[in-house]
Amino acid sequence: MDFAFTKEQLMFKKEIIRFAKKEIVPRVQEHDLKKQFDFEAFKKLGEFGILGLHFPEEYGGSGADVITTVMAGEALGEAGVDGGLTLAYGAHTFLCADTIFSHGTEEQRKKYIPKLASGEWIGCMGLTEPNAGSDVASLATTAEKKGDKYVLNGSKIFITNGPLADVSVIYAKTDPEQKHTGISAFIVEKGTKGFSSGPNLIKMGVSTSQTSELFFNNCEIPAENLLGDEGEGFNMSLQTVEWDRSALLAPFVGAATYMMTRCVDYAKSREQFGRKIGKFQAIKQKIANIRIFGEAARNLVYRIAWCKDQGRPMNHLEAAVAKLFVGDWSLGPANDAVVLFGGYGYCHEYDMERIFRDSRLAPIGGGTSDIQKMIISKLM
Amino acid sequence: MNYDFSDKEFNLFVEIHTLISEFVKDKNLESSDINTSAENIRQALALLSQTPYLKLGVEKAENYNGLLTLMGAMEVIAGTSPSLFLSIETSTRIFGRILSTWGSDSQKEKLLNPLLNGQIIGAVGLSEDALNVDNDPLTTTAVADGDSVKISGHKQYVINGPTADWIAVVGMMNGKNVICLVEKGTPGLTIGEKTATLGYEGVAISKIILNDCTIASSQVITPKNDKDMLNTLKLWENQILIGAGLGLMKTAFESAKDHSKKHKTGGKPIIAYQEVGFKLSEMLTLFQTSQLFAYRAAWTADTDPKNVESLTLCAKVFCTESAEQVASEAMKILGGSGFLSGHPVEEAFRCSKYGQIAGTSTEISRVKIGDTALGMNK
Repeated sequence: MDFAFTKEQLMFKKEIIRFAKKEIVPRVQEHDLKKQFDFEAFKKLGEFGILGLHFPEEYGGSGADVITTVMAGEALGEAGVDGGLTLAYGAHTFLCADTIFSHGTEEQRKKYIPKLASGEWIGCMGLTEPNAGSDVASLATTAEKKGDKYVLNGSKIFITNGPLADVSVIYAKTDPEQKHTGISAFIVEKGTKGFSSGPNLIKMGVSTSQTSELFFNNCEIPAENLLGDEGEGFNMSLQTVEWDRSALLAPFVGAATYMMTRCVDYAKSREQFGRKIGKFQAIKQKIANIRIFGEAARNLVYRIAWCKDQGRPMNHLEAAVAKLFVGDWSLGPANDAVVLFGGYGYCHEYDMERIFRDSRLAPIGGGTSDIQKMIISKLM
Repeated sequence: MNYDFSDKEFNLFVEIHTLISEFVKDKNLESSDINTSAENIRQALALLSQTPYLKLGVEKAENYNGLLTLMGAMEVIAGTSPSLFLSIETSTRIFGRILSTWGSDSQKEKLLNPLLNGQIIGAVGLSEDALNVDNDPLTTTAVADGDSVKISGHKQYVINGPTADWIAVVGMMNGKNVICLVEKGTPGLTIGEKTATLGYEGVAISKIILNDCTIASSQVITPKNDKDMLNTLKLWENQILIGAGLGLMKTAFESAKDHSKKHKTGGKPIIAYQEVGFKLSEMLTLFQTSQLFAYRAAWTADTDPKNVESLTLCAKVFCTESAEQVASEAMKILGGSGFLSGHPVEEAFRCSKYGQIAGTSTEISRVKIGDTALGMNK
């Protein structure tokens, strides 16, 4: 057993933090308040190489391993980048681009990956429907093959990057009689006739990410936009879980470090009763709780990353444990951070309330905490 | 990075598990009788001395990671018998590490070798009424008297006090913290009655009183950096309590899980009900998170000792508090059977409180973690 990162990984993390603090963080609060997507920041992520980090160089990536990729997410959180931007990055790179990369043909890879890796195109993934969330088998969106085309009908909801995406990976039933084995995955491009997105859904947190419904009304797409073979969609969606439980959780780990750093700075400067509030034990306890959560979560997230780097089959129990822990155990520390700042913690001027709101996605997105408990209790 | 134990480590855990499971079968390890406790520890130490277990973290054990391997192994022993575990670890990992870290060659020769061969039991007298968060000066004092040293003072909560062959008594001598190695039966040393406790009933815990207790000056250990010594002793104690937490969680979780698969209500095993299944999921999440936390803290102790203290406190808080939560939830899943005296989960629940109190208490741990983050360490 060895928990060491390589020197290169640690240096890279520092570089990302430096970059993010300079180029992205100063823009976060304004965009969060306006609930606007930060196109410029997203483009900068692409230019820095983060959006395509783990793809091979020939597709515009850097060929990074999973641990380094996960570390990039942690670094963004640690720098103070908001959960909205990191979510947009996660949905774009892992749920959309990586699915195309992992299951697409060479032609599909060449067409989509370089532009997604650079940030020229924005990607999204559509799985959840108004009546099919965790119960994927009950998807109602259909894809009927007609000659050299598929015709899609149905709708999706809570789709991160939905209103912005140039490229969407969409799951639909090619065989409505079947449950999981009737699901297939397709690439749908922006502007395709019969395909539209709804307005941005106003959310509690991760506000800079744009979330919407997607509508398919006799939407015709070329048959070659099928990813893999018919009926393989469910397994593809399961494979993204590895990324979901590592790279998409990593910003929450980084955010814990960011919260702690901010709380420490505040506790060292704020004076009450004639001394710095950092001198009070109640304040130290809150800071300790935040650190303990962050350290605990970090181990779980990197365990998933390391296993993926080893090429091991997905351990769904360990993945669910990581997701459940980050989701449910982050509430206390995030609350501590808000309370430590007192009235300022409740105001948007200080970013603790934003981080608190952003953190509330963790027990919901990508499978709720209850679903994780269902998975764990079935597998144990 | 590597999240797996090596095959060799894994095989050691299996070997220890087999040995200790067989050993505890016909033993009453929670007996409050001191003679029974002493006999149990001696036999267990002799048994474990056949494996590399006693050496881990004390001496270099080839092909094993020191504390990291130990943490995995501690979970096995603590999961089998908490009392045996606490006695063995106090003797081996605290008394033993005092010798291996600060002892002279002759002290090592005389005591460390027999200790690691399972021939003697050690104890440590540290805690005093005055020993608090800020490490006020110890009131136990040692005064040179020719070639001898006279020790006077009181120590409380001495684990293995009534069963130990040797006690390492921590006190002040010429304004510095020192450790005096006192043999059982030395004139001036009085061992108190075994103290009744909420958990760990099989461990002999007592006060000791030293009244002009005279030992040879060669039995005094004077660490170079005596101010760090108290913190180091606490660190070792915290590491043991982390291991204990893992063992208690293992016992409680496994017992509740097995019960929930066998016990049926409404025609189906109770694990099929979300109220039970979800509770078990939370328990497993705490257990697995604690394991990784404990392993990383142990790995840090092996590889980056300068940064180990604060991370160990983080792990200690998490593991010991999780142990109580997991044991408490396990009792609920077990229903009435978990409430019966002598049930392993009832025992785990009682023992779990100790981890939060002993060593650096979880409250003071949080204060110290905060101090480190704020750069306010004393």
